[in-house]
Amino acid sequence: MKNTIELTLKVWRQKISEDKGKFETYEVKDIDTSMSFLEMLDVLNEKLTLEGDEPIAFDHDCREGVCGMCGAIVNGEAHGPQKATTLCQLHMRKFKNKDTVVIEPWRAKGFPVIKDLVVDRGSFDRIIAAGGYISVKTGSAPEANNQPIKHENAELAFDAAACIGCGACVAACPNASAMLFTSAKISHLNLLPQGQLEAKERVVQMVEKMDEEGFGNCSNEYECEAACPKEISVSNIARMNREYRDAKFSV
Amino acid sequence: MSNLLSYFKSSIGKKQIVAVTGLMLILFIVGHLAGNLIFYLGPEAFNKYAKKLSDLRPGFYVVEFGLLVVFVVHMTLTASIVLENIKSRTVNYNVKKSSNQRSLSTRLMPFTGTILIAFVVWHLLDFTFTDKHGDASVLQDGMSYGLYGVVYNAFTDPIHSGLYIIAMFSLGFHLNHGIQSFAQTFGFSSPTYTPLIKNISQWTAIVITLSFSSIPVYVLIQFLSS
Repeated sequence: MKNTIELTLKVWRQKISEDKGKFETYEVKDIDTSMSFLEMLDVLNEKLTLEGDEPIAFDHDCREGVCGMCGAIVNGEAHGPQKATTLCQLHMRKFKNKDTVVIEPWRAKGFPVIKDLVVDRGSFDRIIAAGGYISVKTGSAPEANNQPIKHENAELAFDAAACIGCGACVAACPNASAMLFTSAKISHLNLLPQGQLEAKERVVQMVEKMDEEGFGNCSNEYECEAACPKEISVSNIARMNREYRDAKFSV
Repeated sequence: MSNLLSYFKSSIGKKQIVAVTGLMLILFIVGHLAGNLIFYLGPEAFNKYAKKLSDLRPGFYVVEFGLLVVFVVHMTLTASIVLENIKSRTVNYNVKKSSNQRSLSTRLMPFTGTILIAFVVWHLLDFTFTDKHGDASVLQDGMSYGLYGVVYNAFTDPIHSGLYIIAMFSLGFHLNHGIQSFAQTFGFSSPTYTPLIKNISQWTAIVITLSFSSIPVYVLIQFLSS
């Protein structure tokens, strides 16, 4: 049986970065509740295009919850009301008929709005470029079990590596801090033997890049962890705090 | 040297200094509380303790000056972090929901911090920079009881006591967030110890708040029943 709902959408519209931007209200009807949130926006965009209006710009790619491209603040929550879910994996069954849905872009100095719901997350790329790599001899793939890794570290590194860099942590943080993202990227390399060579300079360079990009400071409110679609733990931030201090005070 | 300078300028460095100065202030508070509890032993013991402390001057000035520096550093660095945080989001959300992750203590931090600054100024004027042998120290029997008398008389006023107790509850909320934040900021985090640290910070905050608040309550009960 097909369930359909109708919604009132209040969407942030902004032509270019320099534009002031404002909310526009749209009515959408016959929305199948098994649609994803992005499919619902597709339906609206098709209607807007046919009417000769500019469609709403939003980022998306895989639509499988793994690429980290999509994301918006939906009714005050990063990626919407469902925990541990990206916006593309949020389904319209989470909404009730006649609901009003407010859709806003991520808000942070480090994420300037490019257009409508699309923000420039180049700052994340620059943080990774500052130290989120390892130096290895290239060539054929090494034997998987050549290098013994403590089980606990392997698990922690893998959990940290689950970060898809969507930016929900920054968007949800009251201070627009990028510490959850940065710490996850540091942890997933610093916990492994392959990451040891640059471990100290990695944490220093990535933290200082993060500061330079204009992100706020962590005040241990843990909104980031609650908003993260991959449930990255704030224990990564603690690890980064410790490693940064150790790196700065080691001779 | 430039390494150290960049540490002090970095987001994490600043936070860690706020955390260390916070810990020093907690140690001071525990010492202060121990002194306050001598109040229960009566005027003689309490005034003797107060005199002992003031007899340590002028050497004690160094300690007091150090404490002032710690307090000022804790405040100014926090203020600079807050300003940076405001700047990091220039456009606010139209609708923003908080998750249940943020505890009441965390949400109240800006208010409890501000109340504590005001309290420290008031408290110093109240009990430190005051005439300890004037009219304010005279109790019902017409005798001067020194600092004990000043404190006793102040707390017989329910408004005075009420404000003091509000400040002590602010301190409790501030410490509850502060102690667990110290652990996180310094990187002590583990599935085993983090819940334990949360419990410790909660209980430390409760014990400190109730112990400080018990003195005005005790004075009020004694005053009203006499």
